Formats: sequence, structure tokens, C-alpha cells
Amino acid sequence: MGVTATDLIARRGAFTLNVPAFAASAAGTAVLGPNGAGKTTLLLALQGLIPANGRVERPARCAAVFARPAVLRGSALWNVAVVAGSVLGCTVTEAESRARRALADVGLDEAVHADARTLSTGQRQRLALARALACEPEALFLDEPFANADADGRPALRALVRSWAERSGCAVVLATSSLADAAAVCADALVLRAGSVVHRGPVSALDTVADGYVAALVAEGRIVR
Amino acid sequence: MAGIAALSVAVSAAATLLAALFAVPGALWIVHGRSRLRGALLALFAAGLGLPPVAVGLAVAFALWRSGPLGSLDALYTPAAMVVAQTIVVLPLIGTLAVLALRGGDPTLPMQLAALGLPRGQRAALLAREVAPGLAAALLAGFGRAIAEVGAAQMTGGNIEAHTRVLTTATMLAVGRGEFGQAFAYVAVLLGIVAVAAGTALALQRRWA
Repeated sequence: MGVTATDLIARRGAFTLNVPAFAASAAGTAVLGPNGAGKTTLLLALQGLIPANGRVERPARCAAVFARPAVLRGSALWNVAVVAGSVLGCTVTEAESRARRALADVGLDEAVHADARTLSTGQRQRLALARALACEPEALFLDEPFANADADGRPALRALVRSWAERSGCAVVLATSSLADAAAVCADALVLRAGSVVHRGPVSALDTVADGYVAALVAEGRIVR
Repeated sequence: MAGIAALSVAVSAAATLLAALFAVPGALWIVHGRSRLRGALLALFAAGLGLPPVAVGLAVAFALWRSGPLGSLDALYTPAAMVVAQTIVVLPLIGTLAVLALRGGDPTLPMQLAALGLPRGQRAALLAREVAPGLAAALLAGFGRAIAEVGAAQMTGGNIEAHTRVLTTATMLAVGRGEFGQAFAYVAVLLGIVAVAAGTALALQRRWA
């Protein structure tokens, strides 16, 4: 089961998000758009974390990585294990072994016993990704999860999310400002501007979209390549 | 001496716990609630920080006076009256420090835990664990203020021997009688209790840090 929404309207202060139709499956849907376009608001509304009108369907077990992940007092291992153990209802030993695996998957095996609060922003994002994946979600909501990752670590993290989605069938919704992230993780894209959808279609066809922001994104992607 | 010290600790600990029973939910409401009255309660807490214990003692003594509004309770000059007065004295301090403790963490943590699918009870337990050091510090600060105050204890307890005499009121009486050795002994015990409370706070903070 994927994540779908119809006639979704969410308000945060003076800002209104209006998304007539949304769908995400294991193939992944990237949510693109300039700052303040409503990417985070859409993710929160899809997860039911902020009040919204419209119809949203999502699987029972969802997990998220926020742009600025909050961590609990304690080691990285404990942070992942306590959440996974609680969500999956498994034993402490099993939760810890899951947490170790998840932390190794995101490249944090060296920092397993480090105080989570002392980790850098990039490391916290890796921790948050490990925490989310250890919960074995059926839908994954990622808000700029690779934004602070090292350039050489980013491809592995993107590949991790992609392979998890393929292996488990987990739906992926990825809010990002990077075309490279979107292309590596998602097949589909939804472009927002000022709370409205300006484009919906395959990521591979974004270069044909007549929109200034998308054109700039595509051009930047070419320069990087 | 032991009885006086024990009563001091018992009255102040009871007042601290009773105050926390109102102050912590109040602080939770100020930090997480949506009502516009939250600001008013926070202002009340802040204003109450400077509340003179003698004024609180006067108000409680007046209320409990035989001909006062609560005179029928016959509670004046009892440890219970002292607990009530000290509760009012320390409530604003515990409330203010609890607000600071609750605001200290990442404000999106509750939402992020919810986004991971944690059940409500588990979320509450983890959030409580996060704020525990700050709340413990708030309680110990409240206890320190309660056990050190003299005005409210004197007015509502009356410093009756073996009944409502606590370390601070006993010290005042000893000085009045010119028994400075006794007064210094009371103060030494009082300082010892405060030091143990502060040491416990520090140890807890260090363990939880």
C-alpha cells in the first residue's frame, strides 16, 4: 500500500498548501520546490501530524526523517534501539541488534556509543535515517535527509533508501532541493510553488518542464554532472 | 534537634511535592497548550518568584484564623498549615523552572516521535525522561526555598515546641533568647540538609547528562 491524497488542503499560519492529488509508492515520489513552497507542510499533512482537509491514505507503519532530526538523551545505539523496540514490540536484545545493523547501514558504526546530542547535523541525519529504517516502515517520509551528508557519503545513503524501498515495497516520499537526490531515489516528482502543484510527472521528464525553478534545478544538475 | 530537623524536611518535602502537583501540569500547559491564558499563568509564576514568604504566611494565617473564612478547619498552627503556606511560596519557582526545563529540549521532539509511530504512552515516557533532569533541579530548588524560609512557617505554624517548630523558627527563637550556640547548631543542620539536596541535584544532573 502506498501513500495517496486527494484534495489535500493544509494551513500553517498565513500559508495554504493545496494539493489536488498525490501518490507515492515504492518507486518513490520526490517533492521539489523552492524554499517556502510547502514541501515540509505536505510531508507533515500526509503523515497526519498537522491538521489538513482532504482524503489521505497511508500504511499503518510510517517513519520519518525530519530536516533537523531531534535526538534523545543517550547513545546513538540507544536512540535507535528504544524507538525500534517500542514500534516493533521486540526484545531489548533484538532491538539492539537491529539498531546496530541500521547504524552500520548508514555508516555510523564508529559512533554507536557516542552521545547522540554531540553528533554533527549530518551524523544526526544518518542516525535519524537509521532510526526510521530500523522501524521497518511501510511508508517513509524524508525531509531533506541527505542535505548535510558528506558529498562522498551521499550516494550510499541514496542507494540505501532505494534498496530498502525495493526490498520491502515501502512507499517513499522525499522532500528535497536536489535533483540528484530526487533522481537517485524516486521515479516520480511533484513540484510545488507557493503551496500549489506546478508539475507532476516522472523525474526523468523534468527537463521538459517549462518552469523557472525546475529549469534552474535541471541546469544545476547538468553542471554538476 | 532530630525531631525539629525531621519536621523541617517533612513539611518542606510535602510542600515541594504538593507544589509540583500543580506547577508541573501548569508548566506543561504553558509550553504545550494552545490557550491564550498561558501567558497569564507564566506571568503569575514570574511575579510569584519575588513573593515574600511573610506575605504568604499572613494570607494563610488570616484565612485559617478562628474567625477567618477557613477558620472552621481549625488548621492554624499545624504542620498542615505550614505545608499549605510553603506550597504557595515555592509553586512559582518550581513552575518557572519547570517551564524552562520543558522548553529546553527540541520543540519538534514530540512530533518526531509521533512520526516514527511510537504509541502515545511510550512517547510520554520518553519525553518525561528527556525533561527529568530539569524537573529534578526544579523540585530541589523548590525544596531549598521551602526549607530556608522562615516567615510563612512562623506565621502559620506558630513555632510550637514538638509540634510546629522547624529549624528556621527554632533558630529565630534561640537568637531571641541569646542562645547563639544553639542557633548555630540549628543553622549548621539546616545548611547540611540544603547541601545534601544540592549535592543530590548535582549528582542527578551529572548522571543524566
